[in-house]
Amino acid sequence: MKFDLSVLTDNLGAIADGFMVTLGTWLGGVALGLALGLLVAVLQLFGPRWLRAILRVYIEIIRSTPFLIQLFLLYYGGPALGITLDAIPAGLIGLGVYGSVYFAEIFRTGFNSIPPGQLEAAECLGLSRLQVIRRIQLPQMLVLILPALVNMVTILCKETPVLSIITVPELTLVLSGIGSQTFAFAEVLLALCLGYLALVEATSRVGQALERRAQRYLGTSPVKKTLQEDIA
Amino acid sequence: MSASRANDAIIEARGMGKRFGDNTVLADIDLRVHRSEVVCLIGPSGSGKSTLLRCLAFLERYDEGEVELEGELLGFERGRQGQRVAASNRRVRQVRRNVGMVFQQFNLWPHMTVLANVTEALKRVKRLSRTDADNRGRAMLDKVGLADKAAAYPAQLSGGQQQRVAIARALAMEPHIMLFDEPTSALDPELVGEVLQVMKQLAAEGMTMVVVTHEMGFAAQVADTVVFLDQGKVVARGSPSEVFRHAESPRLQQFLQNYLERNAFWDTLEESTTHA
Amino acid sequence: MLEWSQIIQSLPMLLAGLWSTLQMSAVGLAIGFVIAVGVCGLRLSPRAVLRRLGGAYITIFRGVPLLIQLLFLYNVLPRLGLGVTPVVAAIAGLSLCCGAYIAEILRGGFLTLPKGQAESALMLGLSHRALLLRIQIPQVVRLTSPALVNEVILLIKASSLISVVGISELTRTAQNLAASTFLQLEFYLAAAALYCVLNVSLALLGSWLEIRLRRSGA
Repeated sequence: MKFDLSVLTDNLGAIADGFMVTLGTWLGGVALGLALGLLVAVLQLFGPRWLRAILRVYIEIIRSTPFLIQLFLLYYGGPALGITLDAIPAGLIGLGVYGSVYFAEIFRTGFNSIPPGQLEAAECLGLSRLQVIRRIQLPQMLVLILPALVNMVTILCKETPVLSIITVPELTLVLSGIGSQTFAFAEVLLALCLGYLALVEATSRVGQALERRAQRYLGTSPVKKTLQEDIA
Repeated sequence: MSASRANDAIIEARGMGKRFGDNTVLADIDLRVHRSEVVCLIGPSGSGKSTLLRCLAFLERYDEGEVELEGELLGFERGRQGQRVAASNRRVRQVRRNVGMVFQQFNLWPHMTVLANVTEALKRVKRLSRTDADNRGRAMLDKVGLADKAAAYPAQLSGGQQQRVAIARALAMEPHIMLFDEPTSALDPELVGEVLQVMKQLAAEGMTMVVVTHEMGFAAQVADTVVFLDQGKVVARGSPSEVFRHAESPRLQQFLQNYLERNAFWDTLEESTTHA
Repeated sequence: MLEWSQIIQSLPMLLAGLWSTLQMSAVGLAIGFVIAVGVCGLRLSPRAVLRRLGGAYITIFRGVPLLIQLLFLYNVLPRLGLGVTPVVAAIAGLSLCCGAYIAEILRGGFLTLPKGQAESALMLGLSHRALLLRIQIPQVVRLTSPALVNEVILLIKASSLISVVGISELTRTAQNLAASTFLQLEFYLAAAALYCVLNVSLALLGSWLEIRLRRSGA
């Protein structure tokens, strides 16, 4: 078997486009997932009982169905409900929704790891519920849950190839298209493997750098230990 | 009594030394333990007493000198030119087959019942049949007063009970030597007594014992020899009354003073010396 | 609004798809577990070369997305002269990937075992082999059982991707039915419901195991 890298160099433009779509849907999905996840977590902790029950069901459903089925529902099933989306927005929203439930669980663990004494102290000083969340809980827990968040971000990165199945023109779709035209599957798929390895590695490097900075800020707070035990 | 044991050292350490990296934790340790002798190792934390005990079981590899158990070199073999060669795992197992050990943290296996903990090695190592192993296991549990706990799991027992099971487990193998590594340090104060009671009984039956302990009362009452370690060296050794009442080393005096201020073990010592 | 009658008519096909999902996942899990034990052994080996080898396996098979692994196995291996049927490619993909994840779970389990347990076993004369088989592995399996159940759920979800190499498991069956009847929403909902039932039951099993584990105090 001959190994011919020209299939890659000849199609650099298309590959770059695909890469941008991958990056865009991934990071967009992460942003959406974080926002939704935080909302879900806060509502689960402080919302009315009926809403908590609904959110619990939402989390269970998303967690127990394959991402691919969720994408099919959104992209192909959506029109029957009047939701018609192009492939790229569908992929981005799908990733965001999928990520949101895992992010929500991480946030929830984070909230629960702040010792209640601190919250009582804040309440006694007259801080409002929202102020407590924003000023006391979030800054501390963000540092603590950082490793878990970064891990989830890399998991979402590794889900992006699935978007190719609903025709999102991301890297996997572009490269396997080139593969089937030129029959140079080995080259393009190897490139994909290495590309994703590099992307995942880069993400966890960034995560580690963030963690190091965060550790310095938090030192050895008593919160850290309980939280790490919880997440483990 | 001591004259009759003069020549039958069952444990003999000569010039033993141990380093962790650049840090010398034991230096030039000579220790002879005779059959049926009870030796208590005392000293401040970090003095190396636990490391010394673990070297006698070869749970830690010693770097210098020699340790012999019943005349057999532990952990090493002598090469052709008399140099030390690391012994195989099998050889190590063989040399320490008659050594039982009891740990500070009990180290029971949480997934097995109490009886299974005691019989596991009887079945696997001594190749006893299930019935024989169970019978001996129950006898051992009876000896430590826990016959009724045979079917319980370790987590259902108190710390003192767990430690007694650990003693039964070691005794079941019919060791000639029992090593105790701070057997009561992990226990709540009110549970210490039941474990010490079992150990006293064992000493009375003539078991050879080396005990690392902070229980000065026990050492005073039960030990034939007390060895005081400080900074990896033997600073004082002798009978309990020599070590406790006629301490010459300032480090030992200071160490004992700390205990004296907290415990009234002196009374126990008076009592045991008058009985002897 | 939804065409329930169609779904009910096609239920036997969907259930056949579910059965295929279960079969493929079970075989993938079994082979994956064997791989995991080996890789975990490498990772815990005293020899640095072996540890690095195990590490490389985990980096690759956890780092490369499963879909790409499957495409690779299905498209590239035949060109290297290895005849690979879709079923073989699918099972290989699932087991290679879940082997990497399970290996890390097992390694975590071994690392949580107190060192003293091994010492007490060695002092009683147990061999290293007996220590592993009688003392350590039973505990590791128990300690990691909730995580392993969770991994099974992840595996079942991941198995939806083997539809791309043409295995007619649940996802592929739903896809075919959706395409031929134009009832996209209905059939994907039906598939989602079946996955849900399966995985929620597994999750319940997992939390039951966890509660039992906590109660036994192990």
